[in-house]
Amino acid sequence: MTAKIILPILQILVIVGFSPLVKGFINKIEARLQCRRGASIFQPYYNLIKLLRKDAVVSETSSWIFRATPYVTFISILIISLLVPVLSSQVPLNFTGDIILIIYLFALARFFLVLTSLDTGSAFGGMGGSREMMVSSMAEPAMILSIFTVALTVNSTNLSNITNLLLNNSVLLLNPSLFLAFLAFAIVLIAEAGRIPVDNPFTHLELTMIHEGMMLEFSGRYLALVEWASSMKLLLLLTILVNIFFPWGIAGGLTFPGLIIAFALYVVKIGFFAFLIVIVEMSFAKLRLFRIPNLLGTAFILSVLAIISLYVVR
Amino acid sequence: MAEHISHLFIISIILYLAGSLFALCFYGWQRVGNYIALILAAIASCFSIATAVVALSAGSTIRLDFTIYHAIIKYNFLLDPVSAYFILAISVIGFVAAIYSIGYTRLYVNKRDTRFLGFTYNIFLASMLLVVTANNAVVFMIVWELMTVVSFFLVIYEHENPANMKAGFMYIIMAHIGAVFLSVAFFIMFAFTGTWDFGFDDFRKVGSHMPLIYKNVVFFLVIIGFGIKAGIFPLHLWLPMAHPAAPSNVSMVMSGVMIKTAIYGFIRFYFEFLTPCPPWWGVVVLIIGASSALLGILYALTERDIKTLLAYSSIENNGIIIIGIGLSMIFKSYNLMALSSLALMAGLYHLVNHAVFKSLLFGCAGNIYYATHTKNIEELGGLIKRLRVTAPLFLVGALAISAIPPLNGFLSEWLIFQSILNGFHIPSVIIKIITIICGAVVALTGALVATCFVKAFGISFLALPRSDHAKKAKEVPVIMLVSMGLLASLCVFLGIFPVKVMMVINSVNTHLLNTNILPAITSYDWLHTKSVQTNFTDLSPTSATVLGLILFAVTFGVLTSIKPRFVKKIYETWTCGISPEPRLEYTATAFTRPFKTIFSNLYRPQREVRTEYSVPNFFVKSITYVDEVTPIFEKYFYSPVSRAVLSISNRVRWVHTGSIHIYLTYIFITLIILIIFVGK
Repeated sequence: MTAKIILPILQILVIVGFSPLVKGFINKIEARLQCRRGASIFQPYYNLIKLLRKDAVVSETSSWIFRATPYVTFISILIISLLVPVLSSQVPLNFTGDIILIIYLFALARFFLVLTSLDTGSAFGGMGGSREMMVSSMAEPAMILSIFTVALTVNSTNLSNITNLLLNNSVLLLNPSLFLAFLAFAIVLIAEAGRIPVDNPFTHLELTMIHEGMMLEFSGRYLALVEWASSMKLLLLLTILVNIFFPWGIAGGLTFPGLIIAFALYVVKIGFFAFLIVIVEMSFAKLRLFRIPNLLGTAFILSVLAIISLYVVR
Repeated sequence: MAEHISHLFIISIILYLAGSLFALCFYGWQRVGNYIALILAAIASCFSIATAVVALSAGSTIRLDFTIYHAIIKYNFLLDPVSAYFILAISVIGFVAAIYSIGYTRLYVNKRDTRFLGFTYNIFLASMLLVVTANNAVVFMIVWELMTVVSFFLVIYEHENPANMKAGFMYIIMAHIGAVFLSVAFFIMFAFTGTWDFGFDDFRKVGSHMPLIYKNVVFFLVIIGFGIKAGIFPLHLWLPMAHPAAPSNVSMVMSGVMIKTAIYGFIRFYFEFLTPCPPWWGVVVLIIGASSALLGILYALTERDIKTLLAYSSIENNGIIIIGIGLSMIFKSYNLMALSSLALMAGLYHLVNHAVFKSLLFGCAGNIYYATHTKNIEELGGLIKRLRVTAPLFLVGALAISAIPPLNGFLSEWLIFQSILNGFHIPSVIIKIITIICGAVVALTGALVATCFVKAFGISFLALPRSDHAKKAKEVPVIMLVSMGLLASLCVFLGIFPVKVMMVINSVNTHLLNTNILPAITSYDWLHTKSVQTNFTDLSPTSATVLGLILFAVTFGVLTSIKPRFVKKIYETWTCGISPEPRLEYTATAFTRPFKTIFSNLYRPQREVRTEYSVPNFFVKSITYVDEVTPIFEKYFYSPVSRAVLSISNRVRWVHTGSIHIYLTYIFITLIILIIFVGK
């Protein structure tokens, strides 16, 4: 019983606590590969703490939507972090919702962010918001289909069930359709998290920015919340990826030693995939805006193939 | 019990008719006449809500037969759970719209005859209730036509505007083409009943012994006949014209519930009359639903007139409902009754959800029109500071229609996804793959809906006002806001407590499919729902909402403890050194420009930039930018058809010589042919 109360808190702490670290880690590795020393991997924490202590400047054009958005975004991502299996495949709150709820909670966060981008009346924001909607609309079908491939392999859309079943029947993971689904999901992950080659998180130039464009007007606590939410989103997508497609090592129950081992392996797996993201970012240039649909179209085709192969093989 | 229900129903119909007649009585006092009509409509709606609730909880079937002495037509009506469910949807929206109209019709006071609006509105509601209860093909066609004609008059209420007249005529012509198809369908089935009654009860028996070829013909006739009313692609043409032309309080009812009578028709035909049906029917319906959903939202996306946008989005939502119906038909033809029931539940849930949030959105669009006298969202902006109550109401509607949890749209979207996922039970691989592709279409549609409504809300309510109309806008009368508030709270209720709704829909499903899936999909009574199979998945929007509130409290507490005094300095938006102006804001056209580029094969955008110079090639005086979408359905489908019809009519025109002798000859020849024909 206590485990059922502690685990959700643990999950939130892991996601909230470690998401800035993942960002710092990616930045550090990227800097090292570019022969720079780079900022400390704890730099995102310093930024957040600094921002949280600051007052905010709010545009006079904006409305209550602007002030509500950071909270809505942050809270919806927090709810997701309670529903995703992080350390244990048993998620005590899994009755609350499944992967479809998670996808639509991401949509809730995005809906409000894009609204805010229009709220301040600057053209940069609108540009970012419009592009964000374009990318996410193209990414959503591929995401849903790749998730459905997994869901149909184990006959469940509940992430906890999925992880459990895949953990106990690892043979299912050798299914080629899951490999295709993995590729599709990986592409979608890069698009949804706003990384190169879809979006460049390091610039505020109007030609390249998508996600950052929407956050231009935020400051102080508001900026901290949306920045934190976006790094949590990256970590959550990575967590879903590693725990669905590589569930080995995740604790099957709620025992203390199991959780420790799970945590160690979790760090290794996330680190590995964060490293892969860096490799991708280093090896590709950002795509032109209207090439992005082609990339996401590829992801979509891959996910369709995944599901068709699943049906045909059955 | 049965008597009570039928009495309630008759009282509500009488009240509607009384309301419409009273409206006409007050010749000098138009306002009073209108108010009395609307208040009576509201009271009558309460009675019909009561009818529906009692009938649904009883779960029984009640017959109402009015025998008129020596009459050929049998005035038979039937109140089964299916009818009761539709009555519930119609009368809830009818009730809210009646209250809303009390405020909204002030727009027309002293400008045009508001009594007429009250008169037609009441008959419109009554005719819809009769459509969903008629139990005889002749009666059905009469009330179906009544509904069409009355709504036609409501569409052309502002008849000075030639565009509205054109919309009205387009509507009535297409509606009548639909009615022709329906009549033929009824006649074909009638040929196999063996009675002269035209009763639905006879039709219910006909499906089992009708030859398949005739059934297929009827299937397509019904698709077209009801499809026109439902606005499926490519028969949608009238819908985005007529719905915006009508006054907003009427658009609420038309978009919210009138187009749902087509869904009612689909259910009656495909689940009762034509059973058992082959699997490919369901596939056809599914594909029609999916393509309407996708195309509907793609056209809504680029639309700048807020009411046209909402009308296109109605096509999309009807598509989603039809996806549910189609899936249910497929499952049923493979005898997977529990899944069939799940898919039907998804469709019917979406039906009531769409009725609620679309009426809410049309109402809010009406508020915008009331306050600004414009429907073009490029001229709006900054309304969130002027229409302080309308803005959150519209936002609730926009979130609900974008299927954002915890509002009601998400629930039906989730059920649709679950039904699609359960498609793996279908034995045929091809149908499985089609089903899952429809899943992708629903996902894409969902994302596009969100874009569309971010645009609709963001451009019209946020930032600085783009015109004087928007700048001078004032909040609308309280009664309009109260009625919209009712719908907004329904959106929340239907989203957070889904099990109550599922219980209601389940009684419809139990009646139609003889399968009770309620125990399989719900647990913890109010709070929790799960998919049909054991261990498939769970969803509890209630719990998600509670979690969200708790997390908000904790987050806010932590943030406050870090920085107790959080000051917000107000300053103007940084626009690279010049002062912020509405001209600098992103527009609706710009917002959806990426989509126009991506889907340029569909839109075929025609862009034109004209520059005027005061000194040639140096000083620009003005730049005109025209960006239009080619209406490909009109261009490649309707114009060839109408041209063909015209040319054929031209060719056969020589028959009409104008001479009476020739006409007498025609009659004579016809007579002889008939005699030969009968003599054989």
